[in-house]
Amino acid sequence: MYCVEMEHVTKTFGRTVAVNDLSLAVPQSSIYGFIGPNGSGKTTTLRMIMNIFYPDSGTIRVFGETLRGASNDRIGYLPEERGLYKRMKVREILRFYGRLKNGRNVNARVDEWLERFELTAWAGKKVATLSKGMSQKVQFIAAVVSEPELLLLDEPFAGLDPVNADVMRKAVLDLQAAGTTVIFSTHDMNVAERMCNYIFMIFEGRKVLDGTLEEIQSRYGSDTIRIGVEDGAAALETLPGIMSVRNFGRIQELRMAAGCDPQKILAEIVGRTRVHHFEITRPSLHDIFVRIAGPEAKEAARA
Amino acid sequence: MPKILQIAWREYKATVKTKGFIIGLLLAPMLMSGGLIAMVISEKQIDITDRRIAVVDRTGRIAAALVQAVENRNQNEIYNLKTGAKVKPAYEITVIEPAADARAQRLELSNRIRAKQLDGFLEIGASVVHPSDNPDEAHVRYYCENVLFDEVRNWIAWPINNQLRKLRLADAGIDEAKAPDLFQWTGVENMGLVTVDAQTGQINDSDRPNEAQVVAGPLIMVMLMFMMIMMGAAPLLQSVMEEKNQRIAEVIVASVRPFDFVLGKVIGGLAVSLTASSVYVAGGMAVLARMGMTEHVPYELLPWFFTYMVLAVVMFGSNFAAVGSACSDAKDAQTLMLPAMLPVMIPMFILGPILKSPGGAFATTLSLIPPFTPTLMVMRQSSTVAVPAWQPWVGLGGMLAFAVLSVWLGGRIFRAAILFQGKTPRLGTLVKWAIRG
Repeated sequence: MYCVEMEHVTKTFGRTVAVNDLSLAVPQSSIYGFIGPNGSGKTTTLRMIMNIFYPDSGTIRVFGETLRGASNDRIGYLPEERGLYKRMKVREILRFYGRLKNGRNVNARVDEWLERFELTAWAGKKVATLSKGMSQKVQFIAAVVSEPELLLLDEPFAGLDPVNADVMRKAVLDLQAAGTTVIFSTHDMNVAERMCNYIFMIFEGRKVLDGTLEEIQSRYGSDTIRIGVEDGAAALETLPGIMSVRNFGRIQELRMAAGCDPQKILAEIVGRTRVHHFEITRPSLHDIFVRIAGPEAKEAARA
Repeated sequence: MPKILQIAWREYKATVKTKGFIIGLLLAPMLMSGGLIAMVISEKQIDITDRRIAVVDRTGRIAAALVQAVENRNQNEIYNLKTGAKVKPAYEITVIEPAADARAQRLELSNRIRAKQLDGFLEIGASVVHPSDNPDEAHVRYYCENVLFDEVRNWIAWPINNQLRKLRLADAGIDEAKAPDLFQWTGVENMGLVTVDAQTGQINDSDRPNEAQVVAGPLIMVMLMFMMIMMGAAPLLQSVMEEKNQRIAEVIVASVRPFDFVLGKVIGGLAVSLTASSVYVAGGMAVLARMGMTEHVPYELLPWFFTYMVLAVVMFGSNFAAVGSACSDAKDAQTLMLPAMLPVMIPMFILGPILKSPGGAFATTLSLIPPFTPTLMVMRQSSTVAVPAWQPWVGLGGMLAFAVLSVWLGGRIFRAAILFQGKTPRLGTLVKWAIRG
C-alpha cells in the first residue's frame, strides 16, 4: 500500500523545468529520504505532494486520492525555512497551527510535545526570544501536533546541534514506529543512510536514484577501496586502475575501474608505503551523490 | 471553529492586542478633533495689523466718501462690542493727487508697497461714475502684493459703489431723500426644507441650518469610514508581506486553501474595523446624549454606514492582501502602497465639490463607482440633500459585486504570489496571475 504515488509529474516555473517526468511511490509507514543538490527540485516535489504547488502534468495521489485546490489535514509539513509568527507565544502558535489542521486534543498534544522537547519553560514566551534550534523544534512540533499520517520534512536536521538532532531523530523514528509515513529531504548523507528505508535522489529535476540503500549501492558493486596509509593521500597518486581518490584525512576512498583487481592495487600501495587499514566496500551514499552531481559528473555530461 | 475563522481570530487578536491599536484608537479621534479645533483657532487668528492704503481718485468725487466710510468702519466695526478688544485691522487711507503719467505713478506706489510703506493702493478711473468707451478709465483697481487673500478689496467695493449710486442719482437730478430705502441692502437667508411632524401631522417651520452642522455630519461620516478602511484593510498589506517573507505563509497554505487564508485575514481586518467603529459610534452617541443632542444622531444612516464599511473592508482588504503577497520586502511595499491606496484616497480629494452639490450628476456618478461608494454615498446620505432611494441600493449592489470580484481575484493573485520569492512581479505578471490563478 502506497501513501504517496506520483506518475510522470512535471512542474515548470517560467522556462525552468523544476521537476521533470517524475514518478515515485512511497510505501506506508516508511521513511523516504529525498536527496539532491540545491535547486534540484526536492522542495518543489514536497510542495506538490503537500498540494501547495500544482503539477503542470502527471498525477499525484496521496492516500489514494488526487487533491487539487484543497488542503489535506492528514499531512504534516515542516518547510525548509521556519515560518513562525515572532510576536506570538510558543504555546499559542502551536495550538493555532494544530487547530488549523483540525487536530484532536491539540492543547494536550502541544503540552506533551513541549515537555518531550524540553520547551515547557518557553511555552509562555514569544517566538522571537527562541534560539534557532528551539525555533526548529517548535516548527517540528507544529508539523506533528495534529498527529498526521504523512509527515513531510524539508531539511529537518539542518542547523541542529548533535543533541537536538538526536532528539529530533528519535521523534521521527517513534512516529514511524507508530505508523506515520515520513518523507524528508536532507543534505546529510549519513542521516539518509542511517534513517531511511528508501532513498530517492533528484538531480536537475529528474529522478536519478530510487530504492533502498542496499539496492542503490548494489548497482555500483564493490568498486570502492577504503584505505589508511602512513604517508597519506600523496602515496596514492597515479595508481593504475584507480579512477579517483577522495581524501578524508586519515582515510582515503579509492574508486576502482571496472575489472580492476584489488589485490594488485594493494600490492602497488604496499610497495609505496605502510598500510594500516584496507577494506573493499560498496560506495557510500555520499560517494554516489558526488558521482552523480559532482563537478566531474557535470563535466562529463557537458562533454 | 472553521479554519477561516481561526485565521480571522488570530489576525484580530494580533491587531487589537497591540499597543499601536489601542493608542491609535484613542489618538485618531483626538487628532481629528484636534484638527477641527486647530481649524477653528486658525480661523480666529486674523491679522489685525492696520492696513495703509493709498487712494488715487481720478474722478475727484469718490475719495472723500471713501475716507468717511473707512472712518465709520474704524470706529464701529473693528472692536468687539462686549470686550472692546480689537478684532479686525483698521484701514488708514491716504488720498494722493493723480499724476499725469498714470503708469509712472502706479510704479512709484508699487515700489512703496515693496518697501513696506504701504499695504495697497486703489486707483479709481476717471470715467467710473459714467463709464466711457475707454476701458482704462472706467475701472476701479486695487493693487497689492497678495492678490488672492486681501480682504480690503472685498470691503472697499461696497462704499465705492454706494458713492457711485449717489453720484449717478445726483447727476440724473433725482433727490435721494425721495427714496430713503434706495440703498438698503437685503440679504438672502439660508433655510432648510419644511417638514411634517409624523405624529401630529403639523407642518413644522424650517430650521435655519447651521453651516457647521451641514458640513460636520457628512465630514464625520466620511472621516470615520476612511479611518475604518485604514484600520481594517490597509494593515493587511504589511501583514501579508511579513507572512510571506517570514515563510509563515508556506505553513498556512499547507493547512488551508489560499482563498480561505485571504478571506480569513480579511474577516480579521473587518472585525478590527467593526470593533473600532463600534467604539467610536457608541462613544459619539454617549457624548451627544450627555450634551442633550441625541436628535443629531443619524440612526437611519448607521445601518448603511456599517454595511458599506463591511463591504469596503472586504473589497479593499482583499486588494491590499493581494498586493502584500506580491511584495518581497518593505521597499516593494512602499512602492505598491500608493497605487493600492489610490481608490481609497481619490474620494478624499473631491470632498469639496461633492459636499457643495451632493445631489449633482458629478456626485451621483462617482458615488455609484464601487470603490468610491462607501465614502461618497455615505457622505451624500448624511448631507441635507435627499438622495433618491434607489441610489444607495444600486451602490450597494455594485459594491457587493466588486467585493466578490476583489476577493476572487485577490485570492488568485495571492495563491500565485505568496511563494514567489526573489524579485518583484511586474504589473503584467500580477494580471497574468489574476487571470490564470
